Parts: sequence; C-alpha cells; structure tokens
Amino acid sequence: MTIQTKFGAIATLMLVAMFATPARAQVRNSGASPIALNAVLSDSITLTLSGNAVNFNLTGGSANNPGSTGITATTFWVLRPSVGSLKLYAFFSSSTAALSDGAGHNIPSADFQISDNGGAFAALTNTVPFGGANAGLQVSSVRILGNNKTGTNSDLMNFNINLAPLPNLPAGLYTGTLTIQAQAF
Amino acid sequence: MKTARISWAVMAGFAITLSASIASAQLNSGAQTIALNANLAESLSVTLSANTVNFALSAGSATNAGSAGITATTAWTLAPGRNSVGVYAYFASAAAALTDGAGDSIPSSAFFISDNGGASTALTNTVAYGAANAGLKLATVPITAANRSGNRTDAMTFNINLTGGTLPQLPANTYTGTLNIQAQATP
Repeated sequence: MTIQTKFGAIATLMLVAMFATPARAQVRNSGASPIALNAVLSDSITLTLSGNAVNFNLTGGSANNPGSTGITATTFWVLRPSVGSLKLYAFFSSSTAALSDGAGHNIPSADFQISDNGGAFAALTNTVPFGGANAGLQVSSVRILGNNKTGTNSDLMNFNINLAPLPNLPAGLYTGTLTIQAQAF
Repeated sequence: MKTARISWAVMAGFAITLSASIASAQLNSGAQTIALNANLAESLSVTLSANTVNFALSAGSATNAGSAGITATTAWTLAPGRNSVGVYAYFASAAAALTDGAGDSIPSSAFFISDNGGASTALTNTVAYGAANAGLKLATVPITAANRSGNRTDAMTFNINLTGGTLPQLPANTYTGTLNIQAQATP
C-alpha cells in the first residue's frame, strides 16, 4: 500500500466519522420523571336491613309470641388481607329491659329470641362487642379467606318473645330497640 | 439484671405494638336499628266445663240437686292498676230464675250454689251483672304484681230449694232458665 492509498483510507474514515458524529448528537434524552401512583381501596362494612320495625301480639305466659315479620340483614364488605372473620351481632343496650312499658315492667333480653336463616331460636344472653352485658347474640360468622375479601352475606332473622318465664307480666305496650351491627376482626 | 430489664422492655413494646395492630385491624359497620313493639292486651275470660244442668224436682223438698257440677275457669291478663277480679253468677230476673212459661216460676232466692265445696248460697244479691237481687258473687281474687296474669277455678254444684213461700205449691211442669257466670276486673 502506498502512502497515498493509506492517506486516502484515513481521509475516508474521517469523513465517515465526521458525518456519523452529528447524527448521534441529535438525540437528547431527558431525565426520567417518576409518577407515584397510590390507589386506595378502603376497607368497609355496609349493613342494610330489609325492615326496621317488628310488632308482637303477646299472649300472657306463652312461650310462642312470634314477630309480625322477619328481617333480612345484608352485610357487604371489602376487607384487608389481615382480617380473618366477619361477625354479625344483635344486641340490646340493657339485658334487664330489652322492652319496657315505661312503667317499670320489662321484658329482658333473655326472653327475646332470634332464629337466623331458619336455625334454632336463641336468646340474647351473651356479652358481645356491642350493647349491654349479657344482652347480645352473635347472629352469624363468616370466615374471611383469600377468595372473599369482598363479599356479601344475608341473615334472615325471625323473632320470638318467650313469656313463659314472665307469667305475671301485666298487660301493656312494650317497646324496645334491637340493634344489628357487624364487625370484622 | 440489666439484661432482664431490657427483655421486659422489649416484651412490653411488642405487646403494645401487637395491641395496636389488633385494634387497627378491627372494623365495624354502622349500627342498624329495629323498633320492637310488643302488645300484651288485657284479657279476662270464663270457660265452663259444661253448659247444662238438669234437676229432678221433688215438690216441697229443700234438696233438689243438679245433675252435675260445673267448673268455671277464669283466666286473666291485666294491666297495672287492676286490683281485683270478681266472679259472679246471676239471673236476668230475681222473680223468675226458672219458669214454666205459664206464669209459674222459681225465684233466684230458691236457687243455690255451692262454690268449691262451700256452703250453698242463694242468688239474692245485687251484683255487677243481672237483675237486682238475682246474683251471687262466687269469688274475689285480689290482684297484685304477683298475679297480673293468672287463673282460678270455681267448682259449682247446684240445688233448688222448693220449701220457701208458695214453692211447695209449684205445679208440675218443666221449668227452664239460664244461669250466667261472668267475671269482672276492677277498677
């Protein structure tokens, strides 16, 4: 290879490099700007009742005094992974005076009974997270697993007042408030 | 000693953390209420074991027993304020408790009731029901807080005394009448 040939090759390479360098210099990259995404699915429990009043026509001394209607409690929940169960409770604020005539005569919670979804009637004699001591009943319990972090449950409650333990209850109108509430834990 | 204190401190801290964790994991729904209205109505009833008594009369006899006794069962559920239940027997007429329909009558004063084995007593009082001087109070039950709902039974046996006044001359015939039993709660 002559000197002229070598010079020509070098000149060609320089020309190529000269055109190539401006082509790379046209790309400009900014710095990466992150966007923090925060999506919050709040945990919640919603409880709705199909009705809000039940009437009873009492018979003195009778064990069977059914309520005029059943009430369905529908519980809807969205829960965190750490929650293991969801329970529905029924309770009164007082165990001794679940219903009262306002004149000192009472029907205790022990004589008020609930049947859940056709099950046996159970009196409200337990201490639950809400209400008065010995004035509650756990109506139902749903185990929360991986596949029901969001879900619903229906509890059809029927009611009965047992007056067999109250044979001397005077005639009168007895009123009270039964409260239904759910808790996830 | 120092190591033990540190251990206790660590355990206490763990317990507090655990409690806080548990508390935060608890979630409650809103409380939904159901209004309960239970009506125990006042009631007072009398039930009789039977509704007919026959008498085979002997003219002029003081003893003409009824064919059968009758038991009256009185049941009640009462409101506060009631303090008494009375059970009464009565006729609509004192002069003609039983009659043959032809003008001949047996007065209520000749009709006797023995209640629960007690003495026979004529229906000569004015009671809450029926005609004047044509009744008898069979029983009085004081009502207290201990028996606002309750019941009692009165086993009645009957007799017609045909010895008084003109009754020894009572003509032969069939005499019919209606004896009523009724209860009253007061006040």
